[in-house]
Amino acid sequence: MIAEDLALLRDGLVRLLRDNGFEVVAAVQDGDSLVETIAEERPEIAIVDIRLPPTFRDEGLRAALEARRRIPETAILIVSQYVEHTYANELLADGRGGIGYLLKDRIMDVDEFVEAVRRVANGGTALDPEVVSQLLSRRRADGPLEHLTPREREVLSLMAEGRSNAGIAKELVLTVGAVEKHVANILSKLRLPPSEDDHRRVLAVVTYLRGERD
Amino acid sequence: MSFANRIRALTYLITAVPLGTLGAVVILVGWTLTPLLAITPAVVPVLIGFRAAIGWVAGVEASLAHSLLGVRVSPRTRTRSRRGFWGQALDIVADGEFAKQQVFSLFRFAFGGLLAIAEVSLIGAAVAAIAMPVYYSSSHPDVNGWHVDTLWKALVYVPAGVVVLALALYLLRPLAASSQWLARRLLDSPDGAITRSSDQAGRPPSVMSTSVPEATRLARRQALAIHTVVYVAVNALLIVIWAATTRGYFWPAWPLIALFLPLSIHAWVQAVDEQPALIRRGQTRAFAIHEGVFASFALFYVFLWLASGGGYFWPMWPIIGLALILLGHRILIAVRQRQGELEERIGVLEDTRAEAVDQQEDELRRIERNLHDGAQARLVALGMSLGMAEQKLKADPEAALALIEDAQRGAREALEELRDLARGIHPPVLTDRGLAAALATLTDRNPLDVELDVDLLERPPAVVETAAYFVVAEALANATKHSGATRVEITVHRRDGSLEVEVIDDGHGGANPSGTGLKGLARRVRALDGTLEITSPAGGPTVLRAELPCES
Repeated sequence: MIAEDLALLRDGLVRLLRDNGFEVVAAVQDGDSLVETIAEERPEIAIVDIRLPPTFRDEGLRAALEARRRIPETAILIVSQYVEHTYANELLADGRGGIGYLLKDRIMDVDEFVEAVRRVANGGTALDPEVVSQLLSRRRADGPLEHLTPREREVLSLMAEGRSNAGIAKELVLTVGAVEKHVANILSKLRLPPSEDDHRRVLAVVTYLRGERD
Repeated sequence: MSFANRIRALTYLITAVPLGTLGAVVILVGWTLTPLLAITPAVVPVLIGFRAAIGWVAGVEASLAHSLLGVRVSPRTRTRSRRGFWGQALDIVADGEFAKQQVFSLFRFAFGGLLAIAEVSLIGAAVAAIAMPVYYSSSHPDVNGWHVDTLWKALVYVPAGVVVLALALYLLRPLAASSQWLARRLLDSPDGAITRSSDQAGRPPSVMSTSVPEATRLARRQALAIHTVVYVAVNALLIVIWAATTRGYFWPAWPLIALFLPLSIHAWVQAVDEQPALIRRGQTRAFAIHEGVFASFALFYVFLWLASGGGYFWPMWPIIGLALILLGHRILIAVRQRQGELEERIGVLEDTRAEAVDQQEDELRRIERNLHDGAQARLVALGMSLGMAEQKLKADPEAALALIEDAQRGAREALEELRDLARGIHPPVLTDRGLAAALATLTDRNPLDVELDVDLLERPPAVVETAAYFVVAEALANATKHSGATRVEITVHRRDGSLEVEVIDDGHGGANPSGTGLKGLARRVRALDGTLEITSPAGGPTVLRAELPCES
């Protein structure tokens, strides 16, 4: 289902998703109806704009978090004109998967957007590269992040975005084996436990980056 | 000629009475003794004393001319001589300056005193005429053979009194001018004792000036001493006369009281000017003097009452009257001050409002320009790409695809630009999550090592948050672009109903507070009645501190 107040974008999103084999059960315009509709329709994923009427502030984010508290299995993908890692932190706070936070710009790259929707609906994570770069932008001068090679840093960014090893391999044009080696190196350099679950890995990495920042 | 200057001129004229008399007496005694002793050696010390006395009077006259008429004259108060015992006497007699000073004293005695008496009589008559409706009923005076016994007859005198008063005040102008001329001609000597200062010549001294030259200060003290001596002497004489004659009604009480007024004013002017601490906070010099004069008068009345053997406490009435006048003076000052404060406040509001309007105008123009050159242009290009893609879709799908990719890139860039623009107008996170979160994001984007310390229990008003945000944003941008800093410390906290924002960088300083960025910032802060302080010495560090009042 979709919650977006601008008709142009809402209709566009519905068409885009239907064209790509999704079933859109509802498209609403404000936060309250979002919570109600999720309770009624039980969609696999809700794609939500942060700014919704009536306040046009973070109404969508609050409604999505409220819906997720009531029906915990709902996956949430927040789309917005701007990203703030503060919001990402709030979304990731409950430590469960099925969370996405992307700039609306990303919708234009239809294939990647559809991939991200699938990933989030299946309990994965999709963090916008902008959020990740905000998290990575400041780090201690002598912290472990400084010891990563440029390639490892690229892999780390993609890990934080929520990509699987296969996804990372495709993006960087590497073999899955090479990616696995990089991931193992990164995790050992940052002293993080290895994890098969992509979402857990994202959480660990994001938590680590936040800790490194503050 | 201002009213104050006219009063000074009148005071100067009145000083002719004691000083002119003193000079005349000295001259009389001097020229009586000199011929009598001319062939004895005693004539030499007499002439020296004579010369010294005239010199002293000339010195006092010069300082009076300076403080009351605004002419700076420097009399030579001594005759220089290098020719032995008798030669000295000859030098004194032949001294042109000595002669001029004597002529000056005689002028002061003969004309100054007369003019002063004339002026004072005119003013007195004018005041008596103006006040006629108040007292005619108790005395029914005969004026020029006309019996004033009704209010209408009394009222006739009021306009006449006003005309006479105006005439008296008007006459002070030529009188002051001729006095100035006389002082310049007769007192001034090219090698006088008081050094000339070109910038003060011919200008009345500022009454508030605390940096009075030492010579003037001494002369003023001397003037006060003379005044006191004259007061005591005149009254002692009158009391002696009273004691020797009638011994009845104590009429010397009137000159005692009347002459006490100028003396007490003189004394308090001197006291306040020597001790500026007597002027209390928010008060004026005039009020401090007024207070002092009031206190002296109250005490003096009580003293007179005691001296006259007590009885009915009549000083109560004059003291109450004087106290009311003092109170009126105090209220006048308070009203003036309040008015001044309000006027100042209105001025500040007018300025900041104009600035705020200007700033808004500038801001709108900037946004319009950015939209026009940025997003709008990109959307046009995007539309063109799509149009061309439509044309080529069938004939050349390859090329169409490339054009669509172009269009997509253009759209992404347009979005990015719009996002930056929106953040520059008002960062969304500031509204949603407050100053701390917005500043955290801001500092995250910054490549420098930024220490952020935000200590806020509750959110300040939105306008204050926005201003604080832009203060930090601008300071941070300057630190990054211009200062060469590596570290920036930002602290934001509440203090006494204000939000205090401080940004310190370790760069090389030399920030220009009149640059567009900082000027715009100062306007933004001033519009909220806040203050913006920038210290940026060459070599650093640059400290920017803003205080934004949170109560509206």
